[in-house]
Amino acid sequence: MVIERRWKKWVFFYIPLTVFVVGTLFPFYWMTVTAIRPDAELYRSWRAVNNAPFWTLHPTFEHFRDLLAKTTFPRWLLNTFYIAVASTAISLLCGLLAGYALARLRFPMAGALGTSIFVTYLVPPTLLFIPLADIIRDFQLGNTPWALILTYPTFLIPFCTWLLMGYFKTIPKELEECARIDGATRVGAMTRIIFPIAVPGILSAGIFAFTLSWNEFIYALIFLSSPERKTVPVGVVSELIRGDIYFWGQLMAGALLGSIPVALVYSFFVEYYVTGLTGSVKG
Amino acid sequence: MAAARSAGRARDIRLAYLLLAPTLLLFGVVIAYPVGWEVWTSLTDLSPLKDGSAEFVGLSNYRRLLVDAEFWRATLVTVVYAVVTSAGKLALGLGFALLLARPFRGRALVFLAIFLPWAYPAGVSVIGWYWTLNPPTITAYAPFMGHLKFYVDSALGGGAWAFTSVMLFNVWRGSSFIAVLLLAGINSIPPELFECALLESKSPWRRFRLVTVPLLKPFLALGVFLSITSAFADLSNVWMLTAGRIVFPLVGTHAYWLAVKVGQYGPASALALTMGPFLLVVLLVLFRLFDRAERSAA
Repeated sequence: MVIERRWKKWVFFYIPLTVFVVGTLFPFYWMTVTAIRPDAELYRSWRAVNNAPFWTLHPTFEHFRDLLAKTTFPRWLLNTFYIAVASTAISLLCGLLAGYALARLRFPMAGALGTSIFVTYLVPPTLLFIPLADIIRDFQLGNTPWALILTYPTFLIPFCTWLLMGYFKTIPKELEECARIDGATRVGAMTRIIFPIAVPGILSAGIFAFTLSWNEFIYALIFLSSPERKTVPVGVVSELIRGDIYFWGQLMAGALLGSIPVALVYSFFVEYYVTGLTGSVKG
Repeated sequence: MAAARSAGRARDIRLAYLLLAPTLLLFGVVIAYPVGWEVWTSLTDLSPLKDGSAEFVGLSNYRRLLVDAEFWRATLVTVVYAVVTSAGKLALGLGFALLLARPFRGRALVFLAIFLPWAYPAGVSVIGWYWTLNPPTITAYAPFMGHLKFYVDSALGGGAWAFTSVMLFNVWRGSSFIAVLLLAGINSIPPELFECALLESKSPWRRFRLVTVPLLKPFLALGVFLSITSAFADLSNVWMLTAGRIVFPLVGTHAYWLAVKVGQYGPASALALTMGPFLLVVLLVLFRLFDRAERSAA
């Protein structure tokens, strides 16, 4: 009985888990190996003597050094961080207020307004950059972080609003009514009772928004032009691929360093993230 | 009393609009105008290559689409792409979520590892994939990948390997998000229900089919919806993984190509707008499924 159970555990748990995790992480492993492999080894035949395809015998930090010395990589990190934090803050604030209004208040056209916010999620973003570029030129925001800080919320707010609305609906109305009976105003009950309870939902929406804005590519590619203004994803791609020449070692080094902030955010908040999603979708 | 209540209600209405104001203001500028522009452009022959103002051409851009073989091909490829990647993501994501559902030692680390593909900037991980699957000729393992590409392309037609790599990347990245979404779903199911099910049936498959899946329905519906919308709008990933040589165009990439490379803003806008109604239908169907699940549970 015990033996059978152990056998089952291997077949249905350990083996699939290992396969999944290895499959998921292999591209990262491959990026790491590429980033620390010297150029001579990177561009050598498969059949060369002493060739080690899956690891390297001469690890080097030369690519990382080049990345930091020859490009404005630290600058890109800072830009991306600034843009991601600002656009996340704007989207969260809008989403919180709109989500509360849609979940708790009864007002004319509530249904229509709610639907129209979500329908924007269905608008394919493919060509929106053409008219957006006009707007950005008219407001003279081209090549500034504000071009992105103000356009990213278009795809962040619908999701934040929707997620937070779901979360607010799971919070019992009685809590708010109690506070009102005790003399709190509606706004007071909202900010002092409801928002603090909704913290997992807020964090969840915030993490989601932060990741999406950290990863955004098309708008950042089109609206920013000078190298020192770029974000990490665009900077790495546009400065380290020149024509048909790819600087593979530096590209991979940049890709690894550039995602550390996101990885940190996740490792700290991942449990909140799951709790927040649980509340929101269910509600 | 009634007067006080109606005053309170008026206050509520004012408050609601006040709370919605920032969102609506931002949307008015950065969504309503561009979408309006797109709708208008789809009815004209606007082009950056043409001198003079754009002419109103009515629905002819749409009519041209309907008889355009390229349009139907792009639609077909997109549907195949959306269905295959969504199925792959759901299967893998569900697998991850079920494995992670129960606590075990090192769970937090495994969780992070599985979540990494989605958290990682797609703009750079896609380059990692390009490097892994389509290495440049002088790289150490290029001959090996070259053979693989040759076999796939000769079996399924030119460009098949590039298309496969786009799908692999998409499934790799998307299944990670679906896994977390479904894990959140499993957390939302009260453990008593699983305990009950354990008493009712000995077969894990029956328990999975009759208890877990129905209770996960809202999460599954959301996952499928997000997966399909992202497949339709996919642009930069396809562009990067094929180095711009797109043999199997998606609706999104085809519209981008028409606008940016050919300079036909009108037809490109019409093409991009055709995605909207399609996605709306998908959304309605999914919500119906979700609704029925709710009602039968009640």
